Amino acid sequence: MNTENFNFYTLCKVIQTIRQTRSTNSKIRIFAEYLRRLKSDHDLHLAAQFTAEGAFEEISGKRASVGSRTSGLAAAKFCEIDYDLVFKPCRTATGSSSETIERLMNNIPEAIEKRDPKNLSLEQVDEIFDRLYTVSSRADKEKILWETWQRMTPVEIKYFIRMLGQGSLRIGFETRSVVSSIAKAFKLDREDVRYAHMITGSIGKTAILAKHNQLEEARFKLFHPLSFMLASPIESRAVNNIEDYIAEEKFDGMRAQVHVHGDEIKIYSRDLNDITRSFPDIISFFRERQLPPTVFDGEICVYKDDTILPFQLLQKRMGIKKPGKKVLDKYPVLFIAYDLLFTNRKPIFDLKLPERRTLLEELAEEYHLPTSVQFEISSDDDIDRLFKRALEHGNEGLMLKHKESNYEYGQRRKSWLKVKKPGGSFDTVIMYAHAGSGKRGGTYSDFTLGISVKDDERYEEEFIPIGKAYGGYTDDELRKINQKVKELTVERYGPTLGLIPELVVEIEFDDIQVNKRTKAGYTMRLPRFKAIRWDLGPSDTNTLRDVENFYQQKIENEPLSQIENPSFSFSTSSDQS
Amino acid sequence: MKIQKAGYQGLYFPDLKVAVDAHHPDADYVFVSHAHADHMPRNRSSKAYASKATIDLMRHRGFKGEGHALDFGETVESDRFKAKIYPAGHILGSAMIYLESDKESLLYTGDFRTPPSPATEGFEAPDQVDILITEATFSLPIYRWKTNDELAEEVRSFASNTLAEHYTPVFLAYNLGKAQEIMHLVAPLDQTVMIHGAGYKMCPVYDENGINLGKYEAYDRETCEGNILICPSSAFSNGFASNVSKKRIAYCSGWASNESRRTQLTVDKLIALSDHLDFFELIDFCKQLSPKKVYITHTPNPAVVKHYLSKEKIDAGHIDIEMNEED
Repeated sequence: MNTENFNFYTLCKVIQTIRQTRSTNSKIRIFAEYLRRLKSDHDLHLAAQFTAEGAFEEISGKRASVGSRTSGLAAAKFCEIDYDLVFKPCRTATGSSSETIERLMNNIPEAIEKRDPKNLSLEQVDEIFDRLYTVSSRADKEKILWETWQRMTPVEIKYFIRMLGQGSLRIGFETRSVVSSIAKAFKLDREDVRYAHMITGSIGKTAILAKHNQLEEARFKLFHPLSFMLASPIESRAVNNIEDYIAEEKFDGMRAQVHVHGDEIKIYSRDLNDITRSFPDIISFFRERQLPPTVFDGEICVYKDDTILPFQLLQKRMGIKKPGKKVLDKYPVLFIAYDLLFTNRKPIFDLKLPERRTLLEELAEEYHLPTSVQFEISSDDDIDRLFKRALEHGNEGLMLKHKESNYEYGQRRKSWLKVKKPGGSFDTVIMYAHAGSGKRGGTYSDFTLGISVKDDERYEEEFIPIGKAYGGYTDDELRKINQKVKELTVERYGPTLGLIPELVVEIEFDDIQVNKRTKAGYTMRLPRFKAIRWDLGPSDTNTLRDVENFYQQKIENEPLSQIENPSFSFSTSSDQS
Repeated sequence: MKIQKAGYQGLYFPDLKVAVDAHHPDADYVFVSHAHADHMPRNRSSKAYASKATIDLMRHRGFKGEGHALDFGETVESDRFKAKIYPAGHILGSAMIYLESDKESLLYTGDFRTPPSPATEGFEAPDQVDILITEATFSLPIYRWKTNDELAEEVRSFASNTLAEHYTPVFLAYNLGKAQEIMHLVAPLDQTVMIHGAGYKMCPVYDENGINLGKYEAYDRETCEGNILICPSSAFSNGFASNVSKKRIAYCSGWASNESRRTQLTVDKLIALSDHLDFFELIDFCKQLSPKKVYITHTPNPAVVKHYLSKEKIDAGHIDIEMNEED
């Protein structure tokens, strides 16, 4: 066919077909075929980017800042329907704002009249995304949305909105599948494409390099964060040769990547966001040392009086963009390095762990940097002993790292294993049920959980919320909960149901944190369903006092000082002046 | 007119001593709109008035009470009312019940679909009523169906394309009504359909009423591969055709219009084939009958329907009757 038209509509139809296809291999084949037929490099770049990353390149850090409320309100106006009365129930029924808008655009006569599809090119849509980024007021954004939708079909509008959200399009086709499609389209090795993507951080650029068979041009750059290597829980993997691993304590802090070159220093969080401004103390720490170009992987911990303090205290630093002197004095932090990714002007993630380690130790000695202490292990007894010690230090547990491993950026395999203490669990009562979205659209899948304050003179209520959980149950359990929820419903607030507090569930969590904005004053970290307790009634739930006790024990559990048998080494005797 | 709830899903009109879709101890007459389980009276002492096909289907589903078969358009009279049934287009035998007293007229729709399902007696309605009691299962403007012709084509091409690729097509559809509509739609393909046992029992009533169901047999696990298969989703999750590895699954329901059903049910195709009318057809139907008052039942979103009717200056209320998610 010579009439092939590679506009935005064609891309959306391909995406929709992928959505409707079940097998991952078929999805990859469909997208590979499409990518191969694209003629211009620019179209190839945009098609790959729109599908895998969204409206903007991930590395650009740009956001359209068009939330689901903005697009929902704009769509309601466009369709001339009432937002609260009509749009919201439609969204609850579908579980998806963009799907709702697609269908209303397709169905409502007032919307059909306004639309006159113009077959926008990928480049035109890219310009629209950029304009949405440039303007800041909601009115300006709404105006651009309105003018764009006038020129689109419903399916284009749906995916246009999803792309604005950045990240996954929720079509069962994630970045790694796009990487596979690029490899397939241009008959290249998947690993090579993945490497190039990792290094460039851009799926669009990767696609173009792949097309021209120039993947080797992709090079790691300083001040572009690299995806972190991740650890699997030790329970999930069969480990045979424990002596092939070395152990480190798993610090109770925040994972971070530090890029340094003299005065220029950047800190990236695990989700690759730039968090430099939150940690001026780490910046001045590195500035004093004037390092050559280097990239470290490590942990930020609150460190005071030779002691690593609980993550709960680090939290008080995390939200603050520009911490003042008081906060800096009260919660001083330290960056403890445990891996080295770039040194001597080249990336070294292809080196084995011991070689990277040697280079890291050389740097640490020369520039006086804190680094983790490594322990040889040969038996489960060693693990138990070190694990206990790590907990005494106030750390989370152990990391086991395979000696023969490269730095497997962006991967979670068995080269790194984590040994963690289980958090705890509480028996709670379901107070509210919330309609799910996406895959769980049309069912109640998120639940607000209550604990008892019946005998607590500080509260009038019987139960107050302690958190929200939306996972850990089986499909069958969810169905049973939904049946029960129907019986217990007494109030309805849009997508939320108020329930008679009767259904007791055991909730497991990693930790308890203070959260002043909640009624209880505490929240659970990573709450998930452990069991539905049909055998228990609402009078059997845990109380707020139980939660407070749990937290207090955690805080008062005095971490061992780092002066003897430390979990990291740090010589402060500075002789560089 | 006084309206009370009766039984699970039905209503009772004390002024007329008439119950619809439920048993009521004081009722002289019980009218049954159609033979779906949620609308059928269960009581042995019930005297049910319904279309002949509905009575026959009810008997197949275990109704033991007294049945009075009515023709569409035929009038039943008592000293309190005159009654007539109109074909509702929902499933075979489905009827809307029209009641007229000295003071006013009333239409109870039961479940209905217009334009009607091709596997029914069609659809007809009175020109005007004073009180309209209507179901509103698909009560949001996200629900607009394709035309019957487009849907027929979708069903047929799913079956024939799947067979052409040497896969076995499986339609997930409710045992009574939807299953037979699919059989009727694929009959021109001249392929054997194997239908789940409970649905199979209903088919003779369709044959007797002249609905062409094509070649069909009861589901047989050993020989089902390569035929067109039909079963309800509950049977499918309990091992229906689980021995056939090369199969493709289509879920046929109004709820199939929601994308989330794809991952909830893990199916290959969603066909939004409903046996209820869509939102826009519902609002149009209410306008057409220019009622003084509309009562909405069987709906998850009464407020939305009321809002649209009030824009048309139609007074509307809600009678809270649980809807049947099975559709």
